[in-house]
Amino acid sequence: MTTATHLTRGPLGSIERTPGATMATGTRILHVVRLQFINRYTFLWVPLLITGAAVLISLAIYAMVGSDDPMYGGAGQAPLWYYLAMGVQAMSLTFPFSQAMSITRREFFLGTALAAAVSSTALAGFYVLLGIVEQATDGYGLNGYISLLPWVWSSGWAGAAALVFMLTMFFFFAGFWAATLYRRSGTMAVTLALVGLAVVLLAVVFGITRMEAWPRVLETFGTMGPFGAAGILACAALVAAAGSWLTLRRAMH
Amino acid sequence: MTAVIEVENLTKRYRSTTAVDDVSFRLEENTIYGFLGGNGAGKTTTMSLLTAQNAPTSGSIRVFGERPYENHRVLSRMCFVRESQRYPEDFTPRHSFDAARMFFPRWDEDFAQRLIDDFHVPVHTAIKKLSRGQLSAVGVIIGLAARAEITFFDEPYLGLDAVARSLFYERLLEDYTHSPRTIVLSSHLIDEISDLVERVLLIDDGRLLIDESTDDLRGRAVTLTGNADQVDRFAEGRTLLHRQAMGSVASATVYGALTDAEQAEATAVGLERSSVPLQQLVVHLTKKTRSGHSHSHALAHPTPSSEVHS
Repeated sequence: MTTATHLTRGPLGSIERTPGATMATGTRILHVVRLQFINRYTFLWVPLLITGAAVLISLAIYAMVGSDDPMYGGAGQAPLWYYLAMGVQAMSLTFPFSQAMSITRREFFLGTALAAAVSSTALAGFYVLLGIVEQATDGYGLNGYISLLPWVWSSGWAGAAALVFMLTMFFFFAGFWAATLYRRSGTMAVTLALVGLAVVLLAVVFGITRMEAWPRVLETFGTMGPFGAAGILACAALVAAAGSWLTLRRAMH
Repeated sequence: MTAVIEVENLTKRYRSTTAVDDVSFRLEENTIYGFLGGNGAGKTTTMSLLTAQNAPTSGSIRVFGERPYENHRVLSRMCFVRESQRYPEDFTPRHSFDAARMFFPRWDEDFAQRLIDDFHVPVHTAIKKLSRGQLSAVGVIIGLAARAEITFFDEPYLGLDAVARSLFYERLLEDYTHSPRTIVLSSHLIDEISDLVERVLLIDDGRLLIDESTDDLRGRAVTLTGNADQVDRFAEGRTLLHRQAMGSVASATVYGALTDAEQAEATAVGLERSSVPLQQLVVHLTKKTRSGHSHSHALAHPTPSSEVHS
């Protein structure tokens, strides 16, 4: 094979790099990931900053309270709300920009999902690191814990990481889907969807109450552990992601 | 010539309005088009449809022979930064240019840098803090430096002062000469771009009124200047677009080309012929269509303003 034919023929023998030929889809998807990280504040530093600030505030409270028993705080959920907002902005601001960059909806969606996964991994890593520090320092020497909650860590660091990862992914896609729905169909659609969701949840609660199944439900949640919970969240995140994609496919300016 | 875009019976309907109404046209390669029309005429919607930012209700669009919707092969050869373009949260112009460099295969970074200097764009200021003119400049820079084979400029001058606007036209023409491509300029400032555009597409109320070369369009009307009586004699029986008089000298713009005999006669009686500002013609043709060819009322008060109002 000569150099010339090598240049014009791809691995499958098809002609490549014809005039005006474009980057492969995979490359473009990776570029979307980079696009989301061009401004590292949004997808990386802000969530870590929020978590860090929540930790410091919790520590101040633990120090003021002071106790011999271990103190557990819920500050770990602080960044989750930011991920909800991040999902909304990925759609309402970054999507229109991606269109100006001549990116297809599919490339934008896959690249953004990948970027959210990278960001969630970073947050999960930070959470695990925090837990390790808490373990090593007996709760910062205050016996106060933010990450190292007994149930969350009952299956080790991997369980905690999986739970945090899936939680953030779910929050991200929930925000993304809501914003996509808004863009495509307006306020009414989002309101109806939320009301619909509330009705479904209410029906579930009513059903469980009616069947007097609360003890069993609580027991199930108690015994499934962090991996089980992460699994349920993964399903919910997948539903939100699939819903986002189906809505985005025909979302217009 | 080779068509880069072919549009047939394109229609976009929203719940209560028809934004684009059965429009057909072709865009040739390496040509500068003026896409004209008032506010809400359907310009931005049409450009959104061509660049697959929006999907048509019916009709067909072919870009480089392919359907553009979700088609990256075609999309990456086009660039459309809209007038009300939104940018990611906390993005600076620098972030936007870095992104554009990734996605447009023919992006020219040196050219972008020159334009940044030309337009005095503060590259490290958050975009949401930029003035309207600076915001427009960001879009203009992306559109120019991307060197996409088909580039759309959607009222790119908003908020730009006269100096910056003429700079834009200058750079556009320079770069076009150096690397020819298809450029579609949507604009209200018709006379400003009339020397730039080779072909005019005029859209009103979603319908395509004119698809004609700028020269042919200019030939559709003529301005006669000279002795007021002679001018009026020529104008009589013709559609008068504009008339102004100063003492015994008058100048009248009439619609319709003069025959050779008429031209000779006009010269003989000392009338001077000159071409008509494109804007006057566009205003006239838009009104004519809107009023269903009974244009006497509209012509009584020719609009002197610099924009076509819808």
